[in-house]
Amino acid sequence: MDFQTAAKYASLLAKDYAEDIFRLLVNYQAISASEVATRLNLHIKTAQDFLETLEQLGIVSKEEIIEKKRPYYRYILKQARIVIDIDLEQVKREPSPKSLSAYIREREGAGARFSVARNDDYITSVAIWTGKGREMEERKLKLTTPQGRFLYHLPFPKAEPLTVDEIMHKAGIDQAFAPEILDLVQLLEKYEVIESLPEK
Amino acid sequence: MSLIRKLKPDRNITGALIPLSMLPIFGLTSLIFSITTGMYTLAVMVSLFGIYYFYVFIRTWNTAQLVPAAEAAFLTFMFLMIAANSVSNPFDRKELALAYFSGVIFFGILLIYVLVTRKAKWRGREIFELAGETVEETADGYTSRPRPVGKVDYNPQQMHSFARFCARHLIALPYYSSKNITLVPIKMGDEFGRLLGLSGDYRDATWVNFEVNGEVSVHIAQKDYLDYREPLAFDQLCTSLGQVFIDFFDQHNKGEGVRVIDRMDELKIALFS
Repeated sequence: MDFQTAAKYASLLAKDYAEDIFRLLVNYQAISASEVATRLNLHIKTAQDFLETLEQLGIVSKEEIIEKKRPYYRYILKQARIVIDIDLEQVKREPSPKSLSAYIREREGAGARFSVARNDDYITSVAIWTGKGREMEERKLKLTTPQGRFLYHLPFPKAEPLTVDEIMHKAGIDQAFAPEILDLVQLLEKYEVIESLPEK
Repeated sequence: MSLIRKLKPDRNITGALIPLSMLPIFGLTSLIFSITTGMYTLAVMVSLFGIYYFYVFIRTWNTAQLVPAAEAAFLTFMFLMIAANSVSNPFDRKELALAYFSGVIFFGILLIYVLVTRKAKWRGREIFELAGETVEETADGYTSRPRPVGKVDYNPQQMHSFARFCARHLIALPYYSSKNITLVPIKMGDEFGRLLGLSGDYRDATWVNFEVNGEVSVHIAQKDYLDYREPLAFDQLCTSLGQVFIDFFDQHNKGEGVRVIDRMDELKIALFS
């Protein structure tokens, strides 16, 4: 299940009337939105939206009923169990050889402020300016120790750029930390603290 | 031999301003209250000045600091004597005048000696000149990040010995922690703020850091970088500053600490600069 689908499930289940609607769906063979609304004292639109979302997620099916006046839908429960299963590995950024071989260095005049740890060779946080003009505000990023060590060994502006891999090697950072290093590099590139160069 | 300076000329008068400010304070308190009150005020100010120099001596073990500290103690005693005697002209009493002038001459000669021999001179300016000496490229590229510049193969005892040497000769002020020794070079005029804790955290100043594992890293404060006439290539400047201290370390370790002092004296930086 992807995050968006899981978020829809979570959003539905978080409603304070969710359990009551599911109770009706389980105990009734089929039920319409107006029946749910009157039974639970909800607005018809609220009940309808909830049931429609359940239908989109495939938890219920709906059948059109045509009586005297206009047609309406009756909802039938399709599954008696809801399982939210998210594989977190799907959001893991696997370092590609290309991202690790990108030449980077600090951008000149980046205006970032780096705080150095008192007792060791690493940077504890970096303060950067975001926004423009009067909307400009300072944002402070706390760094993990591998990220701090990486930033400590990042080449200076105008110095020879190094690849991400070379900097990690210089800083003595294990390859297992590559995803968090790349996350930082990407963020600092976005805020123009780091510049990526095609080659030396 | 002509010396080409990399640093801008020093026009900082902070060092002279503090003792000089005692004169108008003395004059004003004498005018508003009486000369006795003025003398007491002067005695308090001079004693504070003496306490500061004694504190510098304790912090650095630089013996030259004892000269102004002792002179301040002598002057405090004399001013208190004069105030306690409540005489209109303190020099009417020949014994008092004799004690005063003999002391002033004695300490004056000692002061001139420590000044001329640069024994009480903070060597920050020499350090920055030496660091800039080898950097010819101008490329700017300033960053507030420190730069790892190399590694020394010395044990913590040797590092502590070198840190004490730097403090004793006012090359840099050491800050110790369990994992490292940080040396902060101080220029003349900046010592009051740094030693009295008025200049903020030392990690924001220029420093050279020696880790217990021998790693050396350098940080140059923007204020010090802007003190150079030209925007020197920043990474080269950091490397050069680190190398200056590594060279000093080597010389000190070989028992040639005096060569370090000679190298700085050869720059012939002004006595109060």
